[in-house]
Amino acid sequence: MADKAEMTPLGEDDLDALFNAARARPAEPSVALYERVLADAEAAMPAPAARPAHRRGLAARLLSQVGGWPAATGLAAAAAIGVYIGMAAPSAVETMSGGYVASTSGYGMEDLMVSYAGLMGSGG
Amino acid sequence: MVMALDALSDVPDEALLIAYGNGDRDAARALTLRLTPRVLGYAARVLSDRAEAEDVAQEAMLRLWRQAPKWRQGEAKVTTWLYRVVANLCTDRLRKARGQDLESVPEPEDDAPGAEAGLQQAARAQALEDALRALPDRQRQAVILRHLEGFTNPEIAEVMDIGVEAVESLTARGKRALAASLGGRRAELGYEDG
Repeated sequence: MADKAEMTPLGEDDLDALFNAARARPAEPSVALYERVLADAEAAMPAPAARPAHRRGLAARLLSQVGGWPAATGLAAAAAIGVYIGMAAPSAVETMSGGYVASTSGYGMEDLMVSYAGLMGSGG
Repeated sequence: MVMALDALSDVPDEALLIAYGNGDRDAARALTLRLTPRVLGYAARVLSDRAEAEDVAQEAMLRLWRQAPKWRQGEAKVTTWLYRVVANLCTDRLRKARGQDLESVPEPEDDAPGAEAGLQQAARAQALEDALRALPDRQRQAVILRHLEGFTNPEIAEVMDIGVEAVESLTARGKRALAASLGGRRAELGYEDG
């Protein structure tokens, strides 16, 4: 008769008590497992948001203020053309500027220049 | 570290995973401490093998780390996704083990005797784990997820990649089988009569 009683399935409440007992015994990972998981996390971690590796130099910062390399090449070209015009003094430029000044003021080009001779004379 | 983890204790799993994906080490530590015991517990119950369960837990967490940069917010619960990975890894290992030696399942370890009050609880938990081990794999997984891990039936359906009705059927049959097999250990478990 005892056998018959033992073969009776557990009731719902008894089974729930067993589930509660099992839930009360959570798995405790070993320290070694935590370390392995953390090491994997470290190895698989994506790089943080990109930052410049080092500060840019003075030249690069000045360059960025005027618009970077494209603007700098434009400035250099303009400067080179200016030097060329000054050195070569093409006749077209001289004629145009000289004619314009002469026709509007009646003064020669030399009258518009600073007279160092006068300055030296007044000082002495 | 303790202060940082305390501060993160209320942060949802998904927010921590995204933070980890952005290079946050504290988020990695918090997720490790929070999720490793859960996946280990689940794998240990499904596999009944502590060493295998540790390997599965580590592998599942590694897959979580690799998924972090690709994680799409709001698409899935982190735990559901992770348990699904664990379930698949366990299924693979059970299939391989079945192909090798059915009798090689290790015997449960005898726990060192604890306090008197805890002995019966430990005996009950052990008896349940023994009975779970005798269930077919799918029934065992469904019962563990429902009654030990606290998942809802739709969540279990997602983890096991089956329909909700199939989950209900598996858990019902699993519980009936457990009740039947544990009925024979009633006295041992402190249940004097049926």
